[in-house]
Amino acid sequence: MLIHLRFCRTLGVHIAVAILFVSVGFGVAQDTLRIASDVPVQLDPAFAASDAEIAVLNTIYDYLVDIDSNNNIAPRLATSWEVSDDGLSYTFNLAEGVTFHDGSPLTASDVVWTYDRLRDPALELPTADLYANIASIDALDDTTVSFSLTETNPFFLYDLSDNHAFILKAETADPAADFNGSGPFVVSDYSPENRMSLTANESYFIEGKPGVDALEFIFFSDQAASVDALRGGQVDIVLNMPLALYETLDVIPGVTAVSVPSNGFDLVRLRADRAPGNDPRVIEAFKLAVDREAIFELVKNGIGALGQDSPIGPLYDSYYAAELTPTPRDPARARELLAEAGYADGLELTLHTPDSGDRPDLAVVLQQQLEEAGFVIDISVEPESVYYGENGWLEVDLGITGWGSRPLPQFYLDVMVICGARWNEAKYCNEDVDALASTAGTTLDEAARIDAYQQIQAILLESAPFVIPYFFAETAAHAENVVGFDLQAFVGRTDFAAISLQ
Amino acid sequence: MQSPQSNRPRQSRLQTAAAFLMRGLRAVFRVVRWLYQKIVEGLYPVFRFLRRLYHHPAAGVGTSIVLVFVVLAIVGTWLVPFEPTEQILTARRQAPSLTHWFGTDHLGRDVFSRVVVGSRDILLLAGLGTALAVFIGTALGLVTSYIGGWLEEVTFRIFDSLLAMPALLLALLLLGTLGPSRTSVLVVIAISYVPIVARVVRSVVLDTKTKEYIAAARTQGEPAWYIVGRQVLPSVLPALAVEAALRFSYAIFLVASLGFLGVGVQPPSPDWGLMVSEARNFAALTPWALYFPAFAISLLVIAMNLMADGLKRVLQGER
Repeated sequence: MLIHLRFCRTLGVHIAVAILFVSVGFGVAQDTLRIASDVPVQLDPAFAASDAEIAVLNTIYDYLVDIDSNNNIAPRLATSWEVSDDGLSYTFNLAEGVTFHDGSPLTASDVVWTYDRLRDPALELPTADLYANIASIDALDDTTVSFSLTETNPFFLYDLSDNHAFILKAETADPAADFNGSGPFVVSDYSPENRMSLTANESYFIEGKPGVDALEFIFFSDQAASVDALRGGQVDIVLNMPLALYETLDVIPGVTAVSVPSNGFDLVRLRADRAPGNDPRVIEAFKLAVDREAIFELVKNGIGALGQDSPIGPLYDSYYAAELTPTPRDPARARELLAEAGYADGLELTLHTPDSGDRPDLAVVLQQQLEEAGFVIDISVEPESVYYGENGWLEVDLGITGWGSRPLPQFYLDVMVICGARWNEAKYCNEDVDALASTAGTTLDEAARIDAYQQIQAILLESAPFVIPYFFAETAAHAENVVGFDLQAFVGRTDFAAISLQ
Repeated sequence: MQSPQSNRPRQSRLQTAAAFLMRGLRAVFRVVRWLYQKIVEGLYPVFRFLRRLYHHPAAGVGTSIVLVFVVLAIVGTWLVPFEPTEQILTARRQAPSLTHWFGTDHLGRDVFSRVVVGSRDILLLAGLGTALAVFIGTALGLVTSYIGGWLEEVTFRIFDSLLAMPALLLALLLLGTLGPSRTSVLVVIAISYVPIVARVVRSVVLDTKTKEYIAAARTQGEPAWYIVGRQVLPSVLPALAVEAALRFSYAIFLVASLGFLGVGVQPPSPDWGLMVSEARNFAALTPWALYFPAFAISLLVIAMNLMADGLKRVLQGER
């Protein structure tokens, strides 16, 4: 009797516990989308740059206009717009009934405040140059906003959809921490080193979004660990993997690996404003020393596209000069050139590289190729925070920099190629290129633009103090029950609100 | 038929020649034997020491492995079939084979060559670092603890504060300021292990200081450097030898850890820790590039520890 009773009680407890576990298990599996990403460091939209940072912000805030997978401008907060005949005035109609997470309505004045902040020369934000062309921004009424330009800009809609241009509430005190957006998810908990938890915005203005009840960004500083987490079912999506892990994932059941070609590239550059990079013979030797195809094969296993020292890649279709070919590798000639330049005993340089992606491998392969051609290379592998911190990357003589994918080539020309550009790390200065870039960036004649871009590529391949060996493919992986995951070439711009779980 | 006498002169000539040859050979043999005896006599303490070390099987195995690694470190560069940094474009990600005994990594480098040549780097770095630490630590420990007083207090409180920090954390901190290079790794090992060595020395010195023969030397008016160098130091040596061997094994581990974390030796050096770190992402594609250097680290560290254990046993027995 006693034994029987005890048995019954134990059984009851077991059943209760089982029910509890099953219900909790179902609850978690059904409605929270968990994404493994790098640790975001800067969450003020004006400064955010990495995929992880933009990805997080894109779930909290909205852009005025968005860019779709086919690189076309798509509506977001603005449902429609008109451009004046002279191309100098843009008028946007905002969606009705949009509210910030604190309940206040989003109006045209918030849009004005946001762009005024981004273009304010006094604040010295990275976007100031981009929006220097704007003469004025006006709120015509609560849902209508107009931009006046000083000269025509064929890419103005793309500029408005710049990564930094998330619409904030006017007079936001601390854009890095307030998180009062209008986006599909509301921040519920944020611990900077660990994770960010978000819940669905019930009153989001786009029908059918978001597709899940809750979203969680789990921060991993180690990519191998995030892939293990995906394998073990602790996360549903992993972003930005080194190629090795991507290839590994292809053979794991229950996991889908995806990749998308991108305009992103790794740039290897000398500094052209001081010795030794200011000698054209050194630059020519540098370019003759590298075997771009071998690098592409060794470092990227042939996944992506071969580069030819210009940031204008094959995905830009007609802008891309497909018929150009680099001079074949010639280490002997490179040695001669170095000797003529006064480095007969070898030109000693330190190759600085961030430790992210496959860049350390790129450094090792480059070292071998350069040393065969008379360079003497030391490698210094640095964490991204060191390499990009305090602008050290703009100072070094020989460095590797990763450039993320952008919808238009003009961005790269404006920020890293033209003379004196903010991120012109090679300190390259060529009047012809500057003139052509200016033409391409202002003309409304598409044929003239194509011609300008093609000429720029020829000049860069000939004389620029940098080598762009390849354009990389972006990679991600997800669990089988993830539906609607459309990885973008700039990974951070992927729309996580469109994803649902089965 | 010839008489026996008629043959005698010829026979005797042959005999003379043979006898001469024999004498020469005997002389050579004597010289060789004499030399051999001298060498054996000279090496006898070494043999005796090794025999006692090998008396314990574990210590014997450990010592043998360490010796093999030392030999590889010295002659490995001429022994390996490929350049350790050579990238063979046509032979990437190959499984172990007769050509590539340990396979090749994702950049087409021969893993066997890298592991073998890597033994030189790691033994040299760990060895020099340990030697530096032992030298400085012994000097500081001997002098300060023999003199005693506030000098000893100050020195050892500073050492205590260094010891309070985990070795790896201290190393990361130092490398953050020094920048990653071989020299920095040496400095880091020295700074991390000087306090530990000094403490071991101090414990022996404090014990020895109270011995009567030291008091006798003092009353005799021997100078302090003489007492420290000739009477205290010898009593420290056995403990120091054991400590040095132990530190050496920790130093190997430290060098590998720093390489793994990417703050120590920079690529493309065939540093074992760095190799493990580089191969980690490729674990599913080229596991051999991960396991062989990892195995080499474990093997060497374990062997060093076994040897240190044996050393301790032998030296304590001799004391």
